[in-house]
Amino acid sequence: MIFRILLYIGLGLLLPGCAALGYSLWEGPAAWSTDVRTFWGTPVSLFVFWIGIAHAGTLISAIFLALDIHLDRRTSMLAELTTLCALVVAAIFPLMHLGVLENFYMVIPFLDARENFANLRSPLVWDFCCIAIYGILSALFFVIHLGSHKFEQLKTLRKPMAWLLFPLVLWVHTIVSLDFAVTFVPEWRGAFFPLYFIAGAIYSGLAMVIALLAAEGRRIRLLEKIMMAFSWLMFLFWVWNFALKGDWSVSAFIFGALLPQLWWVSSIRENTIGRIAIAFSAILGMWLERFFLAAPSEVAETASNFGWIDFGLLLFGLGLFLSLVAFGRIRLRKHFDGDDILIGEVEVALESESASAPANAAPDKTTTLSILRFPLLLGILVTILYIVWATSQSFFDTFDLPVVSLIPIVYPLIALVAGIALCARNLWEIAPRKLKLFFVIGVGMIGFAAGAYFAGGSSAEPVGEISGPKPNTSDPALSTSGLALSNTTPEALWNARCAACHGVDGSFNEKFVREFYPLPQKLSAGRLDSLGEDSLVNVILNGRINMNPYGGRISREEAVGLVRHMRALAGEDSIAGANSLVGTDSLVVEKSSAGEDSL
Amino acid sequence: MDRREFLKLCMTMAAGFTLFGCRSGGLTDKLSGPALKDFEDEVRRAMAQMKPGFRLVKVPMPGEMKSSPADRENRFGMAIDLDACDGCGKCILACNQENNVPLVSESLAKQGRFMHWIELRDGIPTMCFHCSDAPCEKVCPTGAANHTPDGLSAMMYKRCAGSRFCGANCPVQARKFNYEDARSLGHAKQFNPQVPLRDKGVMEKCSLCIQRLQNDRMNFKANAGLAAIAGAKSGLAGITGAKSGPAVGTMSGKISWRGKGLQTACAMACPKHAIIFGNWLDESSDLVKEAKVRNLYAPEGIAKLDPSVVYMRGRR
Repeated sequence: MIFRILLYIGLGLLLPGCAALGYSLWEGPAAWSTDVRTFWGTPVSLFVFWIGIAHAGTLISAIFLALDIHLDRRTSMLAELTTLCALVVAAIFPLMHLGVLENFYMVIPFLDARENFANLRSPLVWDFCCIAIYGILSALFFVIHLGSHKFEQLKTLRKPMAWLLFPLVLWVHTIVSLDFAVTFVPEWRGAFFPLYFIAGAIYSGLAMVIALLAAEGRRIRLLEKIMMAFSWLMFLFWVWNFALKGDWSVSAFIFGALLPQLWWVSSIRENTIGRIAIAFSAILGMWLERFFLAAPSEVAETASNFGWIDFGLLLFGLGLFLSLVAFGRIRLRKHFDGDDILIGEVEVALESESASAPANAAPDKTTTLSILRFPLLLGILVTILYIVWATSQSFFDTFDLPVVSLIPIVYPLIALVAGIALCARNLWEIAPRKLKLFFVIGVGMIGFAAGAYFAGGSSAEPVGEISGPKPNTSDPALSTSGLALSNTTPEALWNARCAACHGVDGSFNEKFVREFYPLPQKLSAGRLDSLGEDSLVNVILNGRINMNPYGGRISREEAVGLVRHMRALAGEDSIAGANSLVGTDSLVVEKSSAGEDSL
Repeated sequence: MDRREFLKLCMTMAAGFTLFGCRSGGLTDKLSGPALKDFEDEVRRAMAQMKPGFRLVKVPMPGEMKSSPADRENRFGMAIDLDACDGCGKCILACNQENNVPLVSESLAKQGRFMHWIELRDGIPTMCFHCSDAPCEKVCPTGAANHTPDGLSAMMYKRCAGSRFCGANCPVQARKFNYEDARSLGHAKQFNPQVPLRDKGVMEKCSLCIQRLQNDRMNFKANAGLAAIAGAKSGLAGITGAKSGPAVGTMSGKISWRGKGLQTACAMACPKHAIIFGNWLDESSDLVKEAKVRNLYAPEGIAKLDPSVVYMRGRR
């Protein structure tokens, strides 16, 4: 019942939230408050906030499972659900933060046909990879948990998965902290940032789980104790940060560090409302901390810029999170119910009762290791292959130490491959037919997307997009060729624009072309005549296969001139050109290399 | 209200909004672009809201670029003579016209978020310093901010996703973000057809007038190519040194382009000739000649990043 109310509250918050989201997508980054100095604003702070909450769920569930700390299913499942929902919310904010939303895919470190490659030195690329992988593995972990009470074979996978996720949680939040810590912004620098961020993430996430558990009508003293420990840790970090840089946000300190200490008053601690209030105070404090972090300069001014759009985005995050959690909780209630069944841990406990404790501990660990061994080795192999392949890309020639910049994605890649390899077979066996079909279609679509990514879009200026006055291309004074020569001859244009590939004398620059493109067609006189002037002009202006479009750079008249010049070049050695179609001629090669030398 | 009535109302409203939205251009469409006077006014306004300056520290003369790929013959840059500069702001207007820098709306202007590639900070013209070890390029996720071999920190607008990480990581805040669609707001004017207008949501900054450099390079390639053919036709083995005119230098026996005689828009507009553009690796350029006898300075934040644009003050 309480979750139904939460669902309605969430949906109610979502309404103004969606309005704010829509407006800010339409208006772009000018809609919300952004820092004058760093250009970053509300979505970044919300992203860090929600990704922090997303970490506690898996942390509680996976790390406790890996370390044999017993939690009942209701708590661990709620924690995992929190993680998934918070990840969905967190994924929206960096996307909307972008100025050109449709270019987000350029962050994926995957090659395209033009050899564009994402800049793997950038923490944003690491961040994208890590969080995507974390999302996939968290979803897998949750699915295994859901299915494990029905299918016995999934139960054995939980612990190996937990061991994969344990380092990943810490790794991913370290990377999130590097978004800030590697920069030149004085307020964002600090070698302690990874620990600071991890502590903050666990703190806010625990607070969120405790608040949701209160809605569930239960209370886990262990989690409360851990939360209190982290509140002191945050206190220490804030003092440390103040000592280093003189930054001090009072409101974050009061809500994040001071008010939660009311937990020590037993009348508040024993009261459900009191516990919820403490949890919310911690959550609010952590949000304020992130907000002031993302917008460091002129804190007072930024706060005054905090408008209704920013509130709307805040509500959107909260509303979406609440609706997702409540909806998930209601839909999956039969998995949550029966809280007397303890998953995984209870069997360990039972076994340890029957067998002697040390004898039991050793075989348990070896099974985890033996299940994990092959997937882990596979993951390491794939990661090494990826690194070798990625560093061989030409992009990496432009900076020193490319391998170092790949380190941040090493473990996530290993974990991704290992996690999928671990679960794929078992999940495939138990999945219903319909799901398998969806899965195959999904894989096909991912393949299609990868292909589209590889092919890339046209580099030509989209037609009709420019509403302003276009330069008049027929006016010779405003030639778009960029050549300031008053008498731009086709020959000069050819040498400037075309000769790099096609050669000064038209019998292409073989060395260059061999290195970068497949060899183009030989432009023999017979071929030029058969194609005709018009179609050649169109090829120059619009491009064809490996020929880039030059429409924005030269005018139609200039293209016609180029075609005529090309024909004139071909006329001189039409016999050689005809020979070259057969493929054996030393004459043309000699000529082209001579032309190249003299260049 | 019964259901039918309610649905009818909804439909009418939807149709009405659709018709409203379909008008060509939208509410903000302006028929005439801004006038030159608007740009002059904005420069004046930006100068009135002047930002604080940087602490300047001494730097050595820029040499070859440290990051790869580095050109061994060209590294373009500027030196700004602070003894001559009187902070008149003419360079800002010239830059705006050369690079089609748009106006901004009132709300952004109030926050000091002008698009001007050159700003006066404490009376000193400040633009992108084109650091060889540029922090902005390191954090750009897509590689839209990248280096050319001849020392320019370049922006590829079509590759930019607008994450603004580069802007956050620039120690001198030289980068400008297109918060609004200047074209549809009527804030942009294409003074120079050779420079594209930027889309909403991308970063931009001083390009060292890359279009002028590229045009000159193209011209050189065209002419040198012609000369090469002439040389080949007349039976010479090459044209080594034979045609080295004023625009070309020689290196390892080949004619190469050194960008001689080129000027950026700001350098041309400066009435005191305080901005000198040139090739740091060309000993005979005015830039190197002048910089050799002066003390060179750069803002403290980027002094260690090997900037291509430096300040000059006092004689050595």
